[in-house]
Amino acid sequence: MAPIFKVSYVVAGGGHPGAIVNEDQKPVVGEKVQLGKDEFEVVEVVDLIPARGDFSFLHVTVRPLKN
Amino acid sequence: MELAKVLSQVELFDGLTPSELEQIARICQERSYRSGEVVAQQGATGDELFVIWEGLVEIVHSGSPQDPEPRTMVNLGQGQVFGEMALVDFGPRSATVRVVSDTARLQAIRRDDFLAVCEEHHRVGFVVMRNIAADLSFKLRHQNLMGR
Repeated sequence: MAPIFKVSYVVAGGGHPGAIVNEDQKPVVGEKVQLGKDEFEVVEVVDLIPARGDFSFLHVTVRPLKN
Repeated sequence: MELAKVLSQVELFDGLTPSELEQIARICQERSYRSGEVVAQQGATGDELFVIWEGLVEIVHSGSPQDPEPRTMVNLGQGQVFGEMALVDFGPRSATVRVVSDTARLQAIRRDDFLAVCEEHHRVGFVVMRNIAADLSFKLRHQNLMGR
């Protein structure tokens, strides 16, 4: 099975609860992500806990993009 | 995509064999929601676990019934589960769950149906309960990161 990335998205600066989402691809710095109706840019990607089976567990910090 | 295949991509069911995933798929009920619809209400009795197939929901907690500013704790997207606490402790819903994407497709699993599968297939019960613990741990880690 293809790897699955379980991501904890945390929004820099607070004021947004972030999200937990499964992704098919590992997020990369500079990439844009859509969480609901809001768009963000990835600023940091780190392993949160060791991978288990097909699952990798990531902590991703994002910043809001102004529309 | 076949439901059992979708379930194999959900951490809650990681480690189950294809035939065990079929057992789980048989007790799933698909539900569709629109933006703003409430799936679960804080304080209400709940006997279902939900798996998010498509869409995004927000988990909102109120300090009291009259709380003027309920707090969104986290958003959950594809592959995540909610309602697992009611599955484990039989208590009321600990938060309100509302759809924030345009639409959402969920799979609902009734507690009695799930426990019946576990009674018949003890390994399924062990694996899923272990994964529920891991998922709750991940949610706690997310909350810790939010507080940095």
